[in-house]
Amino acid sequence: MAVESEHWVFYFDPNRCIGCHACSVSCKQFHGRGSDTDDWRTVTHHQKGTYPDVEDVPLSMSCMHCHDAPCEKVCPTNAIEKRESDGIVTINRDDCIGCKYCGWACPFGAPVYGDDGLMSKCNMCLGRGPGGGADVEDTPKHELEDQVEPNCVSDCVGEAIKAGPQKEIIEEASQAAAERFRSGAVANGRVIVEPLQDSTSAVDGSVGGTKEVTTPYNAGD
Amino acid sequence: MSNQAQSSSGLTRRTLLKAGSAAAGAVALGGCLSSDDGTDSGGADVSKAFSNCWMCSHNCGQEVTVVDGSVVNITGVDGHPRGSAGPGTEGTLCPKGLAQQDKTHDPKRVKEPHIRKDGELQKVSWDEAFEYTADRLVSFADEYGAETFLDATSWAETSIFRTIWRDLYGSPERISRGIHVCAGPTFVTGGMMGVGSNNRVPDYQNSDYIIAWGRNQLNSFAGQFEAKGTLEAIENRGATLVTIDPQHTITAEKSDKWLPIEPRTDGALALAMANVIIEEELYDEDFVENYTYGFDAYREAAADMPPEDAAEITGIPAEDIREVARGFAEAAPRAGISVWTGTAQMGNGWKATQNITALNGLVGNIDRPGGLRLWEYPGTASFGQVCEQDYTNRAEFREPALKKYDEYSDYPVRHIEGIAHNLVPEMVDNGHINGIVVHHDDPLKDGNADEWVEAIEEMALVISIDAYWNGVSRNADIVLPEATSLEKDTLGTGNWSAYPKHKWVTGGKAAVEPQWNTKPDFDILTGIASAMAEKTDNDDWRIFEQWDSHEEFIDDQLSTLDLTLEELSSGEKNYELVEEYDYEKWKDNDNFVFRFDLDQVGSFAQAAEEAGMDTAPEWIPPGTYGDSTSDEYPLEFYDVRSVFFSHGSNQPHERLRDHFAKRNDLNEEDYRGNYLHLNPKDAEPRGIETGDMVQVESESGSGELMAHVTENARPGFVTAEYGFGETSATPDGEGMNTMTLHDKQMDPITGQVDRHIAVDVKPAGGD
Ligand code: SF4
Ligand code: SF4
Ligand code: SF4
Ligand code: SF4
Repeated sequence: MAVESEHWVFYFDPNRCIGCHACSVSCKQFHGRGSDTDDWRTVTHHQKGTYPDVEDVPLSMSCMHCHDAPCEKVCPTNAIEKRESDGIVTINRDDCIGCKYCGWACPFGAPVYGDDGLMSKCNMCLGRGPGGGADVEDTPKHELEDQVEPNCVSDCVGEAIKAGPQKEIIEEASQAAAERFRSGAVANGRVIVEPLQDSTSAVDGSVGGTKEVTTPYNAGD
Repeated sequence: MSNQAQSSSGLTRRTLLKAGSAAAGAVALGGCLSSDDGTDSGGADVSKAFSNCWMCSHNCGQEVTVVDGSVVNITGVDGHPRGSAGPGTEGTLCPKGLAQQDKTHDPKRVKEPHIRKDGELQKVSWDEAFEYTADRLVSFADEYGAETFLDATSWAETSIFRTIWRDLYGSPERISRGIHVCAGPTFVTGGMMGVGSNNRVPDYQNSDYIIAWGRNQLNSFAGQFEAKGTLEAIENRGATLVTIDPQHTITAEKSDKWLPIEPRTDGALALAMANVIIEEELYDEDFVENYTYGFDAYREAAADMPPEDAAEITGIPAEDIREVARGFAEAAPRAGISVWTGTAQMGNGWKATQNITALNGLVGNIDRPGGLRLWEYPGTASFGQVCEQDYTNRAEFREPALKKYDEYSDYPVRHIEGIAHNLVPEMVDNGHINGIVVHHDDPLKDGNADEWVEAIEEMALVISIDAYWNGVSRNADIVLPEATSLEKDTLGTGNWSAYPKHKWVTGGKAAVEPQWNTKPDFDILTGIASAMAEKTDNDDWRIFEQWDSHEEFIDDQLSTLDLTLEELSSGEKNYELVEEYDYEKWKDNDNFVFRFDLDQVGSFAQAAEEAGMDTAPEWIPPGTYGDSTSDEYPLEFYDVRSVFFSHGSNQPHERLRDHFAKRNDLNEEDYRGNYLHLNPKDAEPRGIETGDMVQVESESGSGELMAHVTENARPGFVTAEYGFGETSATPDGEGMNTMTLHDKQMDPITGQVDRHIAVDVKPAGGD
């Protein structure tokens, strides 16, 4: 198994996120998913304070392709696979029985339950559409031929999201973000997040926890 | 993160994408498609094309992936002048731009030409539609006179609209976006003061101090370079961002300082800043002395507005005013003010923008890196230059009705403009306008909506060229369905952009065939022209026959740059930086003068006198020309933009409406209209909660929409996104047409629609 540092991770910089939802829209378009289906990538807006002392911070989240992948562990049919080569977590829909365990286990509400009775989620654009990527050979994404950059990354207006092997992404991150990631302080070490500048708000802290990050409208249930 | 485009591994950003050739891409997409529908589409026909986005008309580059004639993905073009932060940076598309994919294949589009027969709109062939259009135009000219036909054509991918309606048909009446309904005071004062109408777009990336004045440029941008440039300046230069806005926006959120100003008091704040800058001698003495006019009058006006007085008016503490004034002046000339609609769409907008623009002259940030840039267009060939045929210009010596007839002598705007949006219904009543052609626009949501609706019904001939059914197309006599920009050959010739020293062009060939029975605007207009040539026996109408296609016409326009559309859009990008130009152009321009006082501008001096205002900067309180709040209407209403919609033309898109609902945390509701954003302090006493339907009422109208109670809203100040509701292109007309509240309020100088309206709000259905 490839070491964790070779595994793909997402990076998010809330300082550059302008809350425009382009990432979310582009994800759905790329994967040919209807407007009314739940988002694989969600943007939420976290507000606190009273006018004029208001803070309103946007957060863009998707499946984190966790190193410890709780969803994979609970899946009774082994439909969920964490790829050894690049750590991308895929769902094989032939084996999915729609029991929603992964949705409950996932701290981010990333797997979503579809009208077809099956789960689906972000596959880092390893393949297209629900279940995409499950049949792709287990060679690191960056070594596969004809692979595209995750669509949310290439369409992010604020250039707030990045994705790639952890050791590369961490090099591009600020020292503070890298340290927080290594110490597991942010989202249990699942996503590299830049600290929110000029802010000591609870909103920033919430990225480190898992509570507010769970996106209410696309949780597994 | 400026190095993100050049990761040592070469993996990040577009490199992955670029690695795949088109053929290899076909295999990859084929594989992906097979997982969707279970069939092996490995042999799918995959192609790549370029376009430039016209969803908000600002030309961000689009790279389009097409499989078997359908657009399956759309993304930005790296390094694009409007869609990226400049060289070596990502090009992207905002949600509106992305929605062009959905729009192209949207079954809700107008799919066939229609003409009204026996009172009903009925489908006809293009030939019949063109012939009928020509018939009606000829009989209209006979009966009412071509000069009473209003050209209300908006953004277009071709420049020949003007040639058709003005030069050939002969109407001097023209109304469009821009001055009338967008930011008239901003555009026009800029021109009169000597810096042009582009005085609104600073040189973001090179700035050390950016003031977003009544602007939310991180979410409501004119090309994504605005948002990206602002973020780059903060990240790379440590620039200070200051937002002046009654609302808490995402731009306010990212700002070092947010000044939550009392609405419509921007003019006082600008004068107080000038007061500080002059008093503390922080201004650019050399520039003021050598390149400006009217400084004494300006100094006097500024002296009358010490920060303490302005604090009373604006609600901004005097020390904050001093801090921003000093910060701005000290950073100058690398200090830019970004202004647009926020300070313009109010009755006292003229003076607000004059006072704000004056600050630029004071600190001498004119056409200097990081300041206000005097942007330039590339030298593409004009219609006259490429047209090899003579024709008689029929509108040349015709005066627009507003200037010609006594009925309008009470409107100072007639000295400045040929028409004003709000006055059109009155002109219809007077018989001075009897017909209209509307292209890709909905004037019924741009001001005094109820009167406009009646005016459209009254007009003898209404032609709509549009992609959707809306208040105009549904009520038109002729509906000509337009292709989207992905179905057309396009050319954009920009000015302001992420390349402050380059003129540029962008373009692309149609990515897919026009869907259903639609046509690109160039083909629609030349179709009308040919039918007019037949009908009138006048060969002037044959001038377009010298071009076999829009592409040929575009190539002619590009000939001065030694480019063709093919060259422009083949390869890795679809833009070209064509000519370089420098900063400080005024240095070798003897004619340049920055005017603080406009007493030398005759037309303005006359209009100002009639409107009762001075020619120099001064403070004009809200209510002088527009609404004042009262016991009956205690709240101030203003309509706003969101990143999901542009002028109502994206509102039919489910994807955008769903995300708009998510953005307001109201996606669980079935409702997909606009929201009334109001502060808990205004909501609670009225018994209003988020998700309730509420009624907004002004002296002249009312409407219903859903409440969104939020601390982002300023107490006493309620806002809603415009373009929804009655007459809009949303299939169910959900939400409220904000301009049903409007009653002709306007800036007296430019006729710009004043969108600040005194209202009250109550639960819908309640007392
Ligand atoms: S984020 Fe959720 S779905 Fe994704 S790998 Fe982690 S647990 Fe699984
Ligand atoms: S990586 Fe792909 S699937 Fe995942 S959120 Fe981004 S666009 Fe969607
Ligand atoms: S596209 Fe980028 S900037 Fe926009 S909401 Fe998503 S993460 Fe934020
Ligand atoms: S800003 Fe958005 S809608 Fe406007 S042109 Fe650019 S991508 Fe299109």
